[in-house]
Amino acid sequence: MPLGAFKTSASLSMGVELELQLVNWTDFDLSGSASDLLHLLGHNTFPGDVKPEITESMLEISTAVHHRHAELLAQLRDIRDALVRNGDRLNIAVCGGGTHPFQRWSERRIFPNPRFNQLSTLYGYLAKQFTVFGQHIHIGCTSANQALYLLHSLNRYVPHFIALSASSPFFQGVDTQFDSARLNSVFAFPLSGRAPLLFDWQEFEHHYFAKMETTGVVKSMKDFYWDIRPKPEYGTIELRVCDTPLTVDRAAALAAYLQALCRMLLQRDEAPPVEDDYLVYNYNRFQACRFGLDGVLVHPKNHASRLLREDILATLGKLEPHAAALDSVTAFEQLRHEVSSEGNHASFLRQHFAHAGSVQGVVDAAVTLFRRGRSR
Amino acid sequence: MIQETLLDVLASIAWPAAIAIAWTVGELAYRLLSLPRISSYGIAGFVMASSQGGFLDNPSGTPIALLAHFAFGLILFELGYRINLRWLRINPWLAITGVAEASGCFAAVFMLAQAFASPMVPSLLLAALAMATSPAAVLRVANELQSSGQVTERLFHLTACNCVLSLFVFKAIVGYWVLASAGSASEAAWNSLVVIGVSVSIGAAFGVAVPALLRQLGNIDRNATVAFAAATLLLTAVTHAFKFSPLLAALAFGLVARHRRAILSQAQRNFGTLGDLLTVLLFVFVAASLDWQQVRSGLALALAVITLRLVVKMATTTVFARPSGVSWRKGALTGLAMMPMSGLVIVLLEQTRHLKLYALDQVAGLAAIVLLLEVIGPVLTRRALVWAGETRQQEGR
Repeated sequence: MPLGAFKTSASLSMGVELELQLVNWTDFDLSGSASDLLHLLGHNTFPGDVKPEITESMLEISTAVHHRHAELLAQLRDIRDALVRNGDRLNIAVCGGGTHPFQRWSERRIFPNPRFNQLSTLYGYLAKQFTVFGQHIHIGCTSANQALYLLHSLNRYVPHFIALSASSPFFQGVDTQFDSARLNSVFAFPLSGRAPLLFDWQEFEHHYFAKMETTGVVKSMKDFYWDIRPKPEYGTIELRVCDTPLTVDRAAALAAYLQALCRMLLQRDEAPPVEDDYLVYNYNRFQACRFGLDGVLVHPKNHASRLLREDILATLGKLEPHAAALDSVTAFEQLRHEVSSEGNHASFLRQHFAHAGSVQGVVDAAVTLFRRGRSR
Repeated sequence: MIQETLLDVLASIAWPAAIAIAWTVGELAYRLLSLPRISSYGIAGFVMASSQGGFLDNPSGTPIALLAHFAFGLILFELGYRINLRWLRINPWLAITGVAEASGCFAAVFMLAQAFASPMVPSLLLAALAMATSPAAVLRVANELQSSGQVTERLFHLTACNCVLSLFVFKAIVGYWVLASAGSASEAAWNSLVVIGVSVSIGAAFGVAVPALLRQLGNIDRNATVAFAAATLLLTAVTHAFKFSPLLAALAFGLVARHRRAILSQAQRNFGTLGDLLTVLLFVFVAASLDWQQVRSGLALALAVITLRLVVKMATTTVFARPSGVSWRKGALTGLAMMPMSGLVIVLLEQTRHLKLYALDQVAGLAAIVLLLEVIGPVLTRRALVWAGETRQQEGR
């Protein structure tokens, strides 16, 4: 199937997808309830879009296209309220977090639809182990070439998003010592990682994608599990490294941060991306996954080392005019507070583990935090 | 002399041997016929009972019965632990379903028994017992299949609901029976109201005390299984000795423990190996309490009651399915899954032996219902959960 034309979008428009966990209220293990919840949601108007994901204990929600942080946040809160309300009717708890702390992948049930069954057959245990939960942020691009430029210019900032969103320290019942253990699961897939360095859509489509297609390895863009990938049918680039945060407020703040970064990058004041930038890419990515905000980042251009925490604070400062122009100053305040005092959600979960003494208590805390601040 | 000693030795081997045989039959039938293990334990127990010419004496009143009560107590504790009272408040349609299906079963079965010319009191007792779903069968089958979803969740909540209602009504009728036969109003009141209130209170007290103790000791995760099992054993023994209801006490214990946020990890479902072993004993015990003569005499009524009970339960859960947030289909399957009732009936009757209530003899049809549902009940529960798509894929979907 050819790639299809790259639809253009309004510049810097944004949309968010969140993969959420469905857990039971008894022992806080994952609950195979997606079909039941979708059935109930199907009978009401839902303030967004909701889809099944690969296993029965996941649900993916997505927002409409937004231009301002406040609108995006309002919709995400409405979606959360609707999910919590309907979940309560079915005794299902909904929460964020990049992994479920103690689920056993062998017990997961694949959602019954042809694509998921096919993926399950191809990837075997990887598909079930892929019961991890990410946030995807889309940013609208006015052209395909702009999309490819942005995609690669963001390479040095990818670790920021990993560290800020990290919420998966526990996996299969133990503290992995990673802030984002989820990305290790994503890395197990053969087509994960980074996109090839091409700036021209024609070249990308005909020389890269078409060739890959003739190898029989891929059929569509969906088969690539890249950290950032172009999404021609939406006219966007899609950042896929974030863990689903524990609150929708943080999810909206991360989207606002990406939007402001793209606005700055499109001014093309920074040196353009080159292949050598990717020499440090996997190392920086690892640092962010492993140590979160305390990771050390190597600058791809001047090779200087710096704490991720400092680099994010500096970037937030630099982006202030863009945040003001985009009306996302409150989102920036939240992120600054996270980086300088509160810590990311991985540290929140670890604190609750220390307090509750059990991984069940960790999920309990995540469920409570997700529900906090509901209007109803 | 030698012969007597030999007989004593053989008698002491009978139960351990029966458990080993039943377990083997259970594994074979599960592998070859996909028959739920507990159905096979029941068949094996019935065949091995002395009333059918086997080697197991009627266990009623023996230490084996106490072990079976303990096994049932563990199951009720787990059921109570899985009940979320907040859900019933948020989704009142579920509570309404529970009350409607239980009272519907009571009324329908009572009228049917009357139509079969059963006397008043046995008809009432039969109707009261027919309200309940046996927690032992539904929990074991759901855990065996590792099912999760709305049918599973509703099955547990409705089972807890109809068990409590059934026990209330049963105790009230027994009170009436004692009143009518012994003429003692105070004894009747004792049996109906005080027993229920005190049993629940003792269970609730355990539910507060045990988690508090565990928290004091720290290490909740590691100690919880043994601590809750030991506490259930004590609770069962105490409430049984003082003629309260061990069933209600264990249910209240689990329910309160849950709402005190003592968290059990998944590994402790079924109380592990201890629970597995006691389950074999429990289901063998239930079926070994039955006599073929009793079964045969009430077969026609039994078949009618089972059919009517199925219709009422399925109709009610289907009617209330949409208002309570699931499809008609899942509603109907919930009703189907609620068919088992044998374990509860036998354990309840055993625990009210001191009242000299020989219900298996006097309530026509009861023994046949217990035997039939001991085998068919778990099969129906299993089918309902598989058809609902709530089990893991390799489980024969």
